[in-house]
Amino acid sequence: MTRRAYSSHVPDFRYVTYFAQTGSSIVHRMNPWTKLGLLFFVVALVTVILDLAPVVLLLGVVMLFYLAARLPLRVLIGWWSLPVLFVVSLSVLYVFTEPGTVVAGARIGDFSISVTDKGLILTATLLLKALAVVTFSLTVFMTTKYNHVVHMAYRALPKTLATVFLLSYRFIFETADEFSDILDAMHSRSGGLAKGLGRQTRTFAGIFGLGFVHAFERAEAISRAMEARGFTGDLPVTDRIGKPTLRGYALMGVAFVALALAVYARYFNGNLIGWW
Amino acid sequence: MAHIHLEDGAFTPFWLIVWNLLALAVMSVALYALKRQRAPPRRLAIASMCAAIGFAVFQIEVPTPVGPAHMNFTPLIGILVGPSLGSVVVLVVNIFSAAIGHGGWGMIGPNSLVNVTEVVIGYYMFRLLRSRLKRGHFWSGFGSTVTALTISPFLVVGIVGLSEIQGSSITRTETMNNMLVIAALNIATGVIEGVVTGYVVAFLGRIRPDLLAHALGPEPRRPEYAAAAGVG
Repeated sequence: MTRRAYSSHVPDFRYVTYFAQTGSSIVHRMNPWTKLGLLFFVVALVTVILDLAPVVLLLGVVMLFYLAARLPLRVLIGWWSLPVLFVVSLSVLYVFTEPGTVVAGARIGDFSISVTDKGLILTATLLLKALAVVTFSLTVFMTTKYNHVVHMAYRALPKTLATVFLLSYRFIFETADEFSDILDAMHSRSGGLAKGLGRQTRTFAGIFGLGFVHAFERAEAISRAMEARGFTGDLPVTDRIGKPTLRGYALMGVAFVALALAVYARYFNGNLIGWW
Repeated sequence: MAHIHLEDGAFTPFWLIVWNLLALAVMSVALYALKRQRAPPRRLAIASMCAAIGFAVFQIEVPTPVGPAHMNFTPLIGILVGPSLGSVVVLVVNIFSAAIGHGGWGMIGPNSLVNVTEVVIGYYMFRLLRSRLKRGHFWSGFGSTVTALTISPFLVVGIVGLSEIQGSSITRTETMNNMLVIAALNIATGVIEGVVTGYVVAFLGRIRPDLLAHALGPEPRRPEYAAAAGVG
């Protein structure tokens, strides 16, 4: 299996699909509806929880789930760069403006900036929440076969949306290759995005224009071939998924209890340990 | 272009539900319109390719002094496939993006609202500029994109400002002021995207005018071709 992506920082769908199709871990064998249900609970938990400590605990549990799927840790850490970049670039405003005890500061003439403890805690909390969700989300996609995704999409989404979603999933590999070629060509001519966009807008437009035309011609060819084989807007669902097992329901039950406790702690009584 | 680069856990549950319900309502309208139009498989295939391209372009980050920015060609998607199918396309792009951590799962709703706005404004501005005001392909593509991408950052400021970042004691006004810096950056990136879109539309108008037919109706046949075809 060769890897080909824009960079090691952006998750490569070809690589993600490779793990989903070939893996045989306990998480791969788990019912996809259970994994989707757990993803919902992880998102709900990070939305409800405000404190740093439970978020650290949640990230720990999610990491155990990732390791149980026997997925590569080094790849995950590389792919963390994207959410880290987004969280840090936005929350950097909060590090300096959030009221709290000043941890470090600098003064340049009349202008002064300072980092506060609350600003740092807020950034850390947002960052760890993002990492917990991204890790779980990638685990779900890296352990669920395409045929199961097809079944779930047709069960959970309106037909048109499901068709566009699933066709796009297949086309992503084509466009990823197309744009990787574009970036390779640009880098081989010593181009860079930072200076390239300002200086070479016309070149970029030609490249993107050509990319669009290539992509549309390919889409039309695929559409004609599919129509010739009886495609009328529905993709065939070959693999069906059963209901979650008892263990799956038990896992979701545990997640539900955790969410209920988090909601109680946030809206009714923050001192859960004292209540216990 | 505008995209809320916040991950899950940034908004309160209340605002998350509000924005996602609003997005659900918008998507229901778009899907209902599509059902009435009975989109043929070819249009679905082209829309899917738009989603794949949109997702691919989404991942190419352009480094800027205050954080990463990226193009996404949402107004162009609107021009190519129309507002209803374009709305479905941006929803799909946002789902894929959430799967890899480019915006949270809970942000699919707010981000879709922003991107649908870009799609709709892009589509109708292009029609206005090209069909009514008879501007060229480049200026119609440029004008529609810049208009859409100048309005959408303010929607982002509004959404984030109203929702606030949970856990922060910064006021709504301060949040909006902070976000204005990012909006200004997005508008600047929008001008660049406008130029690129203008060239792409001009390029498509020259070699594949049929791809623009959805926004404009079929291009009039050139007299010499019409004569050759015996229909002039």
